[in-house]
Amino acid sequence: MPFLIEHVTVVVFALFTFLLLGNLFLVGIVIVRRKRRQRFFERLDALRERYGPVIAGVLSGRIAYEQGLWELREIAGTDRLFMLERLCLENRPASVEEPVLRRLCEDLGLVKTWQERLAGQMDKTSLRRALMDPPGWFIRVRFLSFLIRSKSAENLGLIRHGPSWPLLAKALEDPSPDLQGVAARALAAIRHPGSFPALVERLHKAVLEPGLLLSVRTLKSALVGFPLECARELLPSLRHANPRIRFLAADVVREMVEREAAGNPDFCLDQQSGNEELATAFLTKLAFDVNPDVRAQAAYVIACLADPRSGPVLLGLLKDSVWFVRLHAVRALAREKFASHAGRVETALRDSNWRVREAAVRALRAFGPAGLDRLMAHFLTTEDRYSQEQIADEFQRAGLIPQLVAQCAADGNGQETAVLSRLVEMGKTSYITSLLDLGEGNRELRRQFLRNLGKKSAPQIPQWVRPVALPVPDSGIRPQAPSTLAPKHPNGTKG
Amino acid sequence: MELWREIFIHGMNMFNLIIVSYFFIGNGVYTLLMVLSLATVWLYNRRLAYQSLDEIRESSVTPPVTIVIPAWNEEQIVLETTSSVLRTDYPEVEVVVVDDGSTDSTLRRLVEHFHLIKMDLIYRPHLPTKPVRGFYMNPDMPNLLVVSKERGGKPDALNAGINMCRTPYFCTLDADSILEPDALLRLMRPVIHSPVNTVASGGIVRVMNGCQVRDGRVTKVALPKSRLERFQVVEYLRSFLFGRTGWDLLGGTLIVSGAFAVFHRETVMEVGGFSQDTVTEDMDLIVQMHHWAVKNKRRLKMSFTSDPVCWTECPATLKMLGKQRRRWQLGLCQTLWKHSEMLFNRKYGLVGNFSFPFHLYVEALGAVVEFLGYFMVPLAIIFAMVPARLYLLFVLLSLAYGGLLSIGAVLLEELTYRRYPGYRDLATLLWFAFIENIGYRQLVLYYRFEGVLRFLTGSRHWEKVTHVGVAQ
Repeated sequence: MPFLIEHVTVVVFALFTFLLLGNLFLVGIVIVRRKRRQRFFERLDALRERYGPVIAGVLSGRIAYEQGLWELREIAGTDRLFMLERLCLENRPASVEEPVLRRLCEDLGLVKTWQERLAGQMDKTSLRRALMDPPGWFIRVRFLSFLIRSKSAENLGLIRHGPSWPLLAKALEDPSPDLQGVAARALAAIRHPGSFPALVERLHKAVLEPGLLLSVRTLKSALVGFPLECARELLPSLRHANPRIRFLAADVVREMVEREAAGNPDFCLDQQSGNEELATAFLTKLAFDVNPDVRAQAAYVIACLADPRSGPVLLGLLKDSVWFVRLHAVRALAREKFASHAGRVETALRDSNWRVREAAVRALRAFGPAGLDRLMAHFLTTEDRYSQEQIADEFQRAGLIPQLVAQCAADGNGQETAVLSRLVEMGKTSYITSLLDLGEGNRELRRQFLRNLGKKSAPQIPQWVRPVALPVPDSGIRPQAPSTLAPKHPNGTKG
Repeated sequence: MELWREIFIHGMNMFNLIIVSYFFIGNGVYTLLMVLSLATVWLYNRRLAYQSLDEIRESSVTPPVTIVIPAWNEEQIVLETTSSVLRTDYPEVEVVVVDDGSTDSTLRRLVEHFHLIKMDLIYRPHLPTKPVRGFYMNPDMPNLLVVSKERGGKPDALNAGINMCRTPYFCTLDADSILEPDALLRLMRPVIHSPVNTVASGGIVRVMNGCQVRDGRVTKVALPKSRLERFQVVEYLRSFLFGRTGWDLLGGTLIVSGAFAVFHRETVMEVGGFSQDTVTEDMDLIVQMHHWAVKNKRRLKMSFTSDPVCWTECPATLKMLGKQRRRWQLGLCQTLWKHSEMLFNRKYGLVGNFSFPFHLYVEALGAVVEFLGYFMVPLAIIFAMVPARLYLLFVLLSLAYGGLLSIGAVLLEELTYRRYPGYRDLATLLWFAFIENIGYRQLVLYYRFEGVLRFLTGSRHWEKVTHVGVAQ
């Protein structure tokens, strides 16, 4: 049969009708959806209003636990569990409230439900209930069940339910990457030492089996959350033949050590019992690992050791052939206890890599006033242009210029004046100019500063002082300009 | 004479065939994208229930990010934008505002508001840019740096920002945009959780016109008053919620809006940064990274997620809309032309075999086909080559299809984020989704056609859209 134009017209008409109905259908869904959501939120708000204070009261101890539990058990309906879950976990509990919340969730039957769901033991729900109860669909439709299992794992982590850790550790092997990730995070929240090896094993798998869908960063983040005592479980990983595993293990230990050291400046890893083997591994093996990433991560951990060998090992890493190892070594040395090594850190100011130079500048500053003095002395004596630039950069970024200008105004012969003079010679005058432009309040400072700086012999100085001082409508400052422009003897005194 | 008539009829038939195939292929793919996006966005939204942001916020392994804001004559909004990003909820964030030779008071406002001091910092031009005039910092606010440079265009400004960036990832943000507080956390989530190196992550850009903005925050979401802006609200929803989500699911992402996206700095530097070759530097960068990945046999991921929200001002006048759409179309054509070797190139997988041809045939050339169609088909009716009734039906079919796609976008919004709370707003959105294809579509089509003409004439002019601060 030939395909006539009439047939085309019929087909197009049919398509048009179909699409028009499709439009109406979508509009209908939008409206129905909006109405359902409105009903849902109205109910949620009503429950919040009624039971929110009860939960808050139970958690804070203002309401007797049994009374609060009894009241919460009043909540009925097909969505009871869902609503209870929403109400109980809506606000993050303070650490003192956590035990009460855990007990509440256990007594309300929530924990049991979450555990069952996580283990895959879900009641087959009726179609009607599936439609009424928000998570009903996820239970009914098998391939969506990972949603409800993941949510259950998350909830167990939120209340830090310790006894659930074996279930969560098992969930790390689940085919769903979502559930694996949530389980890892929940285990990190619970921090049960027994779950640490399971996470480490998973980390190994993530590295050795490239097809795995769980990200290494998620696992690393979970491992880092554990107490430092667990770090010794990483010893086999630190000795693993795979360099990436060694790197990740060293990185995890570094993160743990950094966290401890952040709260306690006197922290030393090897002064805590049980960590000796770990400390030795870093000092004797990982600092000399063939993988530069491992050496780089090792630097910071070594810096947190009381062992007298740590200083020399770190200084050895300062001479590493790979720039980022040197960078991490310098950063690791940036603490006052290594101030005696300032001379060695200073050598890093001449490093070929700018990031190492920058880290060295910051490390010297971290050594306190003595480090700053050394930095200024280096700035004045070095012929290395890159080194000078880097130090000038840091002086500005760290906001040290006002301090230098004030010192210069107070004492024209100090190191600070020489530093400012060098900055002017280098053309780094914007910050100083901005300071001098700040107004009448700084008149005396400005006058003294220009007078003192004007004594310097470098030819760039008068060139800079003239435009700075001449336009200023301040009789106390303007005269400084011609005086600085006057010819000078080689020793810097006026002729 | 007979020969000419034959040629004419043959040509018209060919053209009609092209229009019909364009209609069915284009809309077919859009429908596929819509269905995929409905499923994906719905599922993603459910997954958010257990993907707490606290873990990213509190983890010490969350990578730091630099937000790079290129600004040229943005005195109206640059303070709002900068203030909003400085309050971004992210563990470690630096902000680099690049003043690209503004002739208005953009730089002065920044300096005065944030008490910045001019400094002579080191500039390492790993990516070549126009000369830098100065750096402005406040030592008490070390995470904000303003770079003032000579005018070199948006890609040049972005490259200057990347040169000053020290973090492994950077986020590009248009100076006329406002981030939601947790947008960066949400944008970084796929980067952090992906087992594959995610080099680009894009979020959703929503229309700020009509919304209430206070202290760099959108405090009340509402629809704009003018019809032109309302049409754009629907258009943005369609483009972001199902266009980009669908392509992301298929692994065929070719466009990540540079108005708000996170990039892996090292990879961007490897590919040479943002290129000046096209006027849509964001798309060009994405395509360039696809190239780089294939050439270097690297497995990369570029993701799009629909919950990190950036609010932006859409053009409020026809003139500005025209400028914006011409530039987008011109940039699309330039980028596709520049990387034409990707077309049906098996090495590029789905991008080369599906996404690239679709963007070329439907998005770029489609503007010409559709535009000419409005003239050629009536001609065919006049010459009795197509029955008028069929033509009319076809027009109705196309309107109904367009309406279906736009209403689908509103449905997606309703299924997921429901940013427009009132029933009145919802009804307005549905109405504008339905009537978008009558008038507005043709207007945008005209601008797109102009964009193609500019491409054919070799224009490289970057048309600046001036914003007037339309948020309340």
